[in-house]
Amino acid sequence: MIEALSLTKHFQDKKRGLIKAVDQINFICHPGEIFGLLGLNGAGKTTALRLLSTTLKPTSGTAKVAGFDIVKQPQEVKSRIGFLTGQTALYPRLTADEVITYFCRLYGMNGQLLEKRKKVVFETLGITEFKDTKVDKLSTGMKQKVSIARAIVHDPPVLILDEPTVGLDVITSRDVIDLVRDAKKQGKTVVFSTHRMEEAAKLCDRIAIIHKGRILITGTLSELQTQTGLRELEDIFVRLVGE
Amino acid sequence: MQLRQIKNIYFKEMLDTLKDRRTLISMVIIPIFIFPVLIFGMSSLVTSQAQKAEQKTKTIAIYGEEYAPQLTQHILSQGKFTQIKLEKDSLEKALSDKRLEAAIEFSFDFEEALNQGDTARAVIYYDQAEVKSELAESQLKTIVRKYEEQIVEVKLKAVNLSKEAIAPIRIASRNLAPPAKMSGFLLSMFLPYMLMILCMTGAMYPAMDLTAGEKERGTLETLLVTPASRLDIAGGKFLAVLTASFVTGVLGTASMTITSILGVTRFGQEAQAASASLSINPLSIIMVLLLIIPIACLFSSLLLSLSLVARSYKEAQSYVSPLMIVVIFPAFASFLPGFEFQTIHTFIPIMNTSLVLKDVLLGTFQWNKIALVFLVNAVYAGIGIFLAKRMFEKESVLFRI
Repeated sequence: MIEALSLTKHFQDKKRGLIKAVDQINFICHPGEIFGLLGLNGAGKTTALRLLSTTLKPTSGTAKVAGFDIVKQPQEVKSRIGFLTGQTALYPRLTADEVITYFCRLYGMNGQLLEKRKKVVFETLGITEFKDTKVDKLSTGMKQKVSIARAIVHDPPVLILDEPTVGLDVITSRDVIDLVRDAKKQGKTVVFSTHRMEEAAKLCDRIAIIHKGRILITGTLSELQTQTGLRELEDIFVRLVGE
Repeated sequence: MQLRQIKNIYFKEMLDTLKDRRTLISMVIIPIFIFPVLIFGMSSLVTSQAQKAEQKTKTIAIYGEEYAPQLTQHILSQGKFTQIKLEKDSLEKALSDKRLEAAIEFSFDFEEALNQGDTARAVIYYDQAEVKSELAESQLKTIVRKYEEQIVEVKLKAVNLSKEAIAPIRIASRNLAPPAKMSGFLLSMFLPYMLMILCMTGAMYPAMDLTAGEKERGTLETLLVTPASRLDIAGGKFLAVLTASFVTGVLGTASMTITSILGVTRFGQEAQAASASLSINPLSIIMVLLLIIPIACLFSSLLLSLSLVARSYKEAQSYVSPLMIVVIFPAFASFLPGFEFQTIHTFIPIMNTSLVLKDVLLGTFQWNKIALVFLVNAVYAGIGIFLAKRMFEKESVLFRI
């Protein structure tokens, strides 16, 4: 489960002054649920997810991820999340196998457990045949598979996905979508940020529209439709953000 | 901080580093080959160039040839010179235009003075800034000296005197410097400087690759979300860069030592003279390796901190390049002849190491000075490591927000 409690992050910019990148956001995402953060570029999605993954520290407020506080227990949080973005890359000089072994070790796996877990993930994602190829030589789709393997190799109960389909072609995006759906089936908690309306509508159980660091509305698609009296998610979004 | 995580990161960074061609070149190839190339390559190049220059016939002008016909004949009969006719007014220009290498002018009373037992005078004109011209001057002088010796011998014989009679005292100088000191002399100037530069270049590429490079490729964030703490990440990366720096230094020292020994046993006198290092003793080598540890720590931590600020590899290069100049100047201290090591120098990083390494290679072990330099550098390295740790903890540096 993820629970954001008045989560806030401010930055001081020399030219623009104080920036409220994330401003007092509250939401809950339950296990087995896909929660979508929908917003324009620069709305605060990435900052919010970086706060949840503990790579950034909140200015105020906090969040609980898998039962642990992101401020007080960041190490506990880190070992229970899988993090993936469209931009995250892999080490080009290492082979797929070396990359995954490295991350297994960072998540505390060793010996037989490590080999077993690697085998399961490689087979599930179809990596086995190119596992000894240098990442540099892999196609975008293959790289994305290895990236997914990296994010889930420790079988985390929570997945934090920041625009994971950005820059990917239809086929490669499908791998990511499958990952999200499988995670839901397995009862994992999934937070998913996107600026694509159709992706949010298709995948997310509940959606929060975020704009200028604040959450404007939260609910299932039908709840949003009822609240705004509009049918299409795009229309709902434009009305809220445009106001 | 978890040692297990530091170890994980360290081994992965080493694996990654060893697969990087740029790092391999700066860490292994350069330190191994720079010394043999410099010592043998340069010395044999210089020797062969000098030999060529010496064998080549030089063009000279002779003024007052009629006043010293015998000596002129003697000079030209050596086969080393070609004579040209040249107005004396245009001599200076001709020399600078390299139309000739030197000129000799005999005084109008040359032969007469010789016959009368006076000093006969001649002047050699040359251009000291030109190697060939200088060579021509010394060859001309040698020929004239030999000619002079013959005359002296004849004159001495006429009065029943031997050559020794006019050289009643012979004075000789003997060098009492121990062999280790002599052998290390050239090394002592060269090695400290090269070691500083090698430790720096060895650390440079991995430091940039493991920080700015990782940011540029987008892999840093994937590392930051793992349970490895910032301190673990900083520690693992620091140790990897330090290894690269130290290995470069060690390989450089090894290459220098082996080159020197090979130079003495296998190569000719020129190489022997150039390498001039028969016995670098084991204690010197151990001290050299020990003294470069804190300096390698300092370089590694500073380079890591600097390159972590950069967004890309290219940006990191522009931050790191000026640091190279900062290193070169104090490292150069070992090259300055007669530069005395004073207490104040102990506190100038790099310069202190360069100077104390010079002493060590000359076989002078001033233990209190060595210990102080080691300690001072260890403190600087500590500050550097602390700075690197702080950098890894800063969100604004990691994400450039």
